[in-house]
Amino acid sequence: MNILAIETATPACAMALRTSDGVELSFVVDDERHHTEALTPGIRDLLIQAGITPKAIDRVVVDRGPGLFTGLRVGIATAIGFALGASADLVGVTSLELLAHGALRGGVRGTLVSAVDGRRGEVFVQTFELDDDVTPVSEPIVSIPQSVADEWTKRGDAVTFTGDGVARYETLFLPLAAGAIFDQRVPPALEALRLGLDRPKEALIVPLYLREADAVANFTTRERSQ
Amino acid sequence: MTLVLGIETSCDETAAAVVDENFRVLSSIVESSIDEHRAFGGVVPELAGRAHVTTIGPVVRRALDDAGLDPSEPAIAGLAVTSGPGLIGSLLVGLSTTKALSLAWGVPYVGVNHLEGHLFAPLLESKDLEWPLMTLLVSGGHSLIVRQSGPGQHEVLGETIDDAAGEAYDKVARWLGLGYPGGPEIDRLAKDGLADALKLPVSMIGDDFDLSFSGLKTAVVRATEAHREISLEDVAASFQSALCEQLLRKLRQSLERFEVRGVALAGGVAANSALRAGVTQLAKEFGLECHLPTMAMCTDNAAMVAAAGLFRLSSGVPSQLNLSARPNWQLADVT
Ligand SMILES: [Zn+2]
Repeated sequence: MNILAIETATPACAMALRTSDGVELSFVVDDERHHTEALTPGIRDLLIQAGITPKAIDRVVVDRGPGLFTGLRVGIATAIGFALGASADLVGVTSLELLAHGALRGGVRGTLVSAVDGRRGEVFVQTFELDDDVTPVSEPIVSIPQSVADEWTKRGDAVTFTGDGVARYETLFLPLAAGAIFDQRVPPALEALRLGLDRPKEALIVPLYLREADAVANFTTRERSQ
Repeated sequence: MTLVLGIETSCDETAAAVVDENFRVLSSIVESSIDEHRAFGGVVPELAGRAHVTTIGPVVRRALDDAGLDPSEPAIAGLAVTSGPGLIGSLLVGLSTTKALSLAWGVPYVGVNHLEGHLFAPLLESKDLEWPLMTLLVSGGHSLIVRQSGPGQHEVLGETIDDAAGEAYDKVARWLGLGYPGGPEIDRLAKDGLADALKLPVSMIGDDFDLSFSGLKTAVVRATEAHREISLEDVAASFQSALCEQLLRKLRQSLERFEVRGVALAGGVAANSALRAGVTQLAKEFGLECHLPTMAMCTDNAAMVAAAGLFRLSSGVPSQLNLSARPNWQLADVT
């Protein structure tokens, strides 16, 4: 099976490809939020380098977030178009689980917190247990970095943090006595290839926003206060 | 047969359509997220972006199905997508999907200006259209008078210096406590009102072709505060009459200044009954062919984008895969 993975949850624009011959490639083509401009040319170059045609792709795996709303929509809209055009299956994975699998491959064991920068002083976080495999032990949520740091300081358990949300608020996470940081800013697209392999295909991939649109949030607050 | 698949996501409509080289529409699908925006009195960009990403796949698939095309290998010559102007978060959904389809199918695509799309709408409905053409393009986001000497050859004579005509309708509707969008509601109420109930100014009566509607909105607010007893119907009729009068006077001026064979109305406000009647009357007076769009062609759709793309693809170079969206792309800057 020829698989393409698309990763746009953070300012980076990343992609990976594995062919049925076992050729495995992965690119990070930009890290400055130029998803719209960089993604499709990157996929074209990846296909050329792997020596296969777009139509040979059997499955498209896309990171559905949480992460940058705009980046996610570019990634998912691209995945939808590519899967339709190439008659490929479409599969979604999350940014937080990709980070966890990346950490596992990097040798991390025990409790891990994946954190993706949510902007506006917020992070998207989820806790995992890493042994032979990755097991989620909480749901993905949106939180503020200080609360995450406070919670783990209080628990005092050994924990590793990873993701661009940790990198951004490093001063909060570094001093945690029991904590360690696994430096990993872009959810690894190579892990998406593996994870997406046995997931069932989906008719519709919707971004995992974890946050309402501002107008809706403000409107709901206004209605309540009236 | 040369077919083009058009994709449009510049505002709250997710649309896809297939058009052939004779501007015949083989399929046209439009899904709107307008119901999600009503409570907010206007289109909320983030909500529009969210709606597009869930709708785009099914809409494109249906447009292909309706045209009898196989999604894995459609017999199309190219794709066209609105790449501006519009809401950035909305534009990039259509643009991303289109680029990916272009790559997967191995066919060229072109980024099209949304306003140029509107200018191609008459071609889809009037087969024996004769040039040159004077077009009044009025919508929630734009108000322009454009002289077209042929397909893709246009000169913007004037445009609004503040609010768009449709925006004025929405603002007045909000002031009157009516729903969003304001156009249809005001148009309906105006039918039972007196157009001279309120004395409202008809602004911008210079000899240029620029338009302005923000003063009119302010005048409606002042006049209704001064005459609290006046009925909604009368306010609606007075406002609509003043707005249309400005548009029609400027259109008349343009027809006096430039010789054309036909006059066309385009954009969402082209659905307005008073404006349609006024343009019809004007065309008759000047002995011109009158091109009024059907209701489906007034609102944003992808058939008009495909039509503009058909022209752009056949006459120019296709777009590159690294194209960005242009949220403020002016019609005058289209080359
Ligand atoms: Zn429009």
